[in-house]
Amino acid sequence: MRTLLPLLLALFAICLAQQQTLDEKVQNLADLTARQSIVKFNMDKWKNLVRMQPRNYSMIVMFTALSPGVNCPICKPAYDEFMIVANSHRYTSSESDRKKVFFGIVDYEDAPQIFQQMNLNTAPILYHFGAKLSAKKRPEQMDFQRQGFDADAIGRFVQDQTEVHIRVIRPPNYTAPVVIALFVSLLLGMLYVKRNSLDFLFNRTMWGFVCMAITFIFMSGQMWNHIRGPPFMITNPNTKEPSFIHGSTQFQLIAETYIVGILYALVAVGFICVNEAADQANGKDKKNQQKKANPLSSLFSIPANTLAIVGLVFICVFFSFLLSVFRSKYRGYPYSFLFS
Amino acid sequence: MTSITASRSSQLGATTLLTIVILALAWFVGFASRLFAIVRFESIIHEFDPWFNYRATHHMVQHGFYKFLNWFDERAWYPLGRIVGGTVYPGLMVTSGLIHWILDSLNFHVHIREVCVFLAPTFSGLTAIATYLLTKELWSPGAGLFAACFIAISPGYTSRSVAGSYDNEGIAIFALQFTYYLWVKSLKTGSIMWASLCALSYFYMVSAWGGYVFIINLIPLHALALIVMGRYSSRLFVSYTSFYCLATILSMQVPFVGFQPVRTSEHMPAFGVFGLLQIVALMHYARNRITRQQFMTLFVGGLTILGGLAVVVYFALVWGGYVAPFSGRFYSLWDTGYAKIHIPIIASVSEHQPTTWVSFFFDLHITAAVFPVGLWYCIKKVNDERVFIILYAVSAVYFAGVMVRLMLTLTPAVCVLAGIGFSYTFEKYLKDEETKERSSAQSTNTKDEKLYDKAAKNVKSRVLFDNVSCPVSVCNAADGEETAVSGNVRTVISIILVIFLLMFVVHATYVTSNAYSHPSVVLQSSTSNGDRIIMDDFREAYHWLRENTADDARIMSWWDYGYQIAGMANRTTLVDNNTWNNSHIALVGKAMSSNESAAYEIMTELDVDYILVIFGGVIGYSGDDINKFLWMVRIAQGEHPKDIREENYFTASGEYSTGAGASETMLNCLMYKMSYYRFGETRVGYNQAGGFDRTRGYVIGKKDITLEYIEEAYTTENWLVRIYKRKKLPNRPTVKEATIPIKGKKAAQGKNKKGVIRTAKA
Repeated sequence: MRTLLPLLLALFAICLAQQQTLDEKVQNLADLTARQSIVKFNMDKWKNLVRMQPRNYSMIVMFTALSPGVNCPICKPAYDEFMIVANSHRYTSSESDRKKVFFGIVDYEDAPQIFQQMNLNTAPILYHFGAKLSAKKRPEQMDFQRQGFDADAIGRFVQDQTEVHIRVIRPPNYTAPVVIALFVSLLLGMLYVKRNSLDFLFNRTMWGFVCMAITFIFMSGQMWNHIRGPPFMITNPNTKEPSFIHGSTQFQLIAETYIVGILYALVAVGFICVNEAADQANGKDKKNQQKKANPLSSLFSIPANTLAIVGLVFICVFFSFLLSVFRSKYRGYPYSFLFS
Repeated sequence: MTSITASRSSQLGATTLLTIVILALAWFVGFASRLFAIVRFESIIHEFDPWFNYRATHHMVQHGFYKFLNWFDERAWYPLGRIVGGTVYPGLMVTSGLIHWILDSLNFHVHIREVCVFLAPTFSGLTAIATYLLTKELWSPGAGLFAACFIAISPGYTSRSVAGSYDNEGIAIFALQFTYYLWVKSLKTGSIMWASLCALSYFYMVSAWGGYVFIINLIPLHALALIVMGRYSSRLFVSYTSFYCLATILSMQVPFVGFQPVRTSEHMPAFGVFGLLQIVALMHYARNRITRQQFMTLFVGGLTILGGLAVVVYFALVWGGYVAPFSGRFYSLWDTGYAKIHIPIIASVSEHQPTTWVSFFFDLHITAAVFPVGLWYCIKKVNDERVFIILYAVSAVYFAGVMVRLMLTLTPAVCVLAGIGFSYTFEKYLKDEETKERSSAQSTNTKDEKLYDKAAKNVKSRVLFDNVSCPVSVCNAADGEETAVSGNVRTVISIILVIFLLMFVVHATYVTSNAYSHPSVVLQSSTSNGDRIIMDDFREAYHWLRENTADDARIMSWWDYGYQIAGMANRTTLVDNNTWNNSHIALVGKAMSSNESAAYEIMTELDVDYILVIFGGVIGYSGDDINKFLWMVRIAQGEHPKDIREENYFTASGEYSTGAGASETMLNCLMYKMSYYRFGETRVGYNQAGGFDRTRGYVIGKKDITLEYIEEAYTTENWLVRIYKRKKLPNRPTVKEATIPIKGKKAAQGKNKKGVIRTAKA
């Protein structure tokens, strides 16, 4: 009996101690996250707060290497996104939710032992240590490959794992408005400086170039490039030959869109040359008045005949080239002109 | 003197005659080239949405217009139903109903289906005429004829208006062009009459297609641009204000639009420009009546305050919920990543993908290369109405780049500007410099020359017309003799340009015939000998449903086939192509992607009797449900993230596959089981293993599929459509449904146990 009582007491004390440690742990974590939203782990904290039961909270821990000595280009952006989630959690989640999920980070420089203990040799990695997870078990890993690592994806991962919904609030990104504001003020400044000669605003040639550039940009599928982000060109792994044109109608490479845009532009220029040749011919009769209004035609001091023929050659050659590029993508298209 | 006027008037007569003849020919060619599908297959409604439009039209013709407006369709979106009258643009149905009524009262009885099938080709001719009128106002009658001929055959427009494709776009492009013509006309004349006509035409457009938002933003943009360019005139004031007031009131008469014109952000720019126009008008009025000092304080101060106030009021209204903010579909046009994140159901539609350059070239061909030239000359010789086409072209080319389906709005602009480009060149080059007069004789010469190309009547007539028109319009102005471009060069250039036009005609015909004339209800393939095989599986299955199921049977399928089931099988569907209720669609997606017992629960809750899947593995049809399955999973995951997880359907290496490495969830989901049930026993080719999927190109992952809760009801000839029946499970309270074991050894045990219980009871 006598030996039993202290034992029981000791057991009770241990239970109590553990009970306390759980409360203490939570308190400890709450203190740690009071000033900053994530816990930076060293070995002690790590053992105590993450790997030791009892816990009634989940830990979301990112393993990363932020020191400049380690070559890890995506660690920094992943860390930033992680911070956004942690901050959103800190400021928007309810009191009880904040007791349920804590965010932490292990930097390779601070605690390489933890990396060894977890058997990790890559970074960044995001783990979820569930409340019931015992010391030796492998935690749930978030798949950055598939889900990506932006804040929304991390938020979704946390919600899936812990059922704590975090409303991700991204601090507004001021770069775009600032750049636009700078650009606009620059433009306005230029306008103000040149306020005595605002003629260029009424310069139709300039507006013509702007509008044509817009049409060529969109007709050559730059919007598709912007949305889908294809590679510039593809190198054949077997022959090492670069190919600029993708063989399918559903896909395009950036290089080929440039080619196509330029071809469109050259055909249009050819047409304009042909027309200018005729205009020039008519303009001569009209005492060059037309010419002064039209600075472009004064460029064409070439004889009208030559200009017309050059234009025609432009149209034929470049349009046939366009057709042949099209044919190389659209298999079975039967018509061609000049080139096959 | 008299002789000259006589020749003038006869010339005028000839010009008018030629114009009419050419437009009639353009109409005819446009109509004829859209009939490929009819000649090859039959007079049939195409694809998906047209089936709903046809069904609605049929309902309207049978029950009358007012019954149609109040139509509650209990055969769709079971058990919710759909208020059809208030959720469709009725213009299409009313148009074909009206044509049907006119034909009927002329004692010319045709079935409403024929009216529906031929509506779009007929309207393509009207579009050509509207384009002619618009281009005539913008540039010249010659350019107008070019534009009319272009739009009649341009593949970008044909794609949506072949015979049988009975959809809103078919009539909407006509309404669009006609509204633009009337707008330009009213701007030119500044008359209230034209503006009112424009508003009426706009009303027709609103009743026909949701794309009317493009008009109600483009016209204010034009007005704004004119004000900014300092081209304000009282004509603009009269035409815009009368157009805006009438158009807003008229558009609110369409039930589906309702109060949107005053309550959504999409319509607010028009209102803002309306307000601005009043201020500008007041400014012009006051300028001559007060001193400069007063003027400056009044307007610079007043404008700033008013502008700021307008912005504040707008945001207050949006914040207070009186004005709806911009819709998601609108955002997705500007922020191109928006739809993918927020509205997966929009992103899943192939029409909403961005446009590759190939589609641009495919749909526009030479006109794509020439239309910047027309744009160039419109900018060079800008006037009030040409500002409009410039804005139209630049905005439309942007929208077409973002979304494939908006190629449709770009095509008219391209045709107009390419028409201007070509006519500009031909006006200069087809003019013969030797003879100033005697144009008619000369034109007949050219006519004989050009008669060899019988393939393309419209091109020929285009050339003809310019021969005639240029003496009228240009030859008077130009002195003619000493032009520097020599006659030979002129001839060569003209001939080569005509060759390009011929190439366009040939291209347009090829594209129409090969790419845009498939009903997709009936499939066609060819054997090695070149014989055509018609695969009519869809109609076979729908007919089976119509004949062999109860009248109130509920059919579950993916939403793509909802309209077809309702239209052809006349049975109740759970979801259809009107994707108004995402959670309902997600529920169907969840049923398809769960295992059999979970799916059975959902199906019981939804009262499903039959399930229909499309399976292309036997014939190699790539548009089947297995290929769409990932979208079902994604949409289901959006609503039920706990039960459905996309990654569970991938192989270990993260690929989407139903082959050897397929995941367990994939192999047990309802869609997999229904698609591949008994497929393992078949051999598609003599040297292929059993269960070889032709579409995916590999042997499927699991061949012995047993079905517990559903049974196969019907499979069509080519396995394209497979119909399953939900079993009514026996009412046995002692044995729980979920515990019925599925696999071999356990099953044997279970049977023994059951036997024991039975004997014990006995």
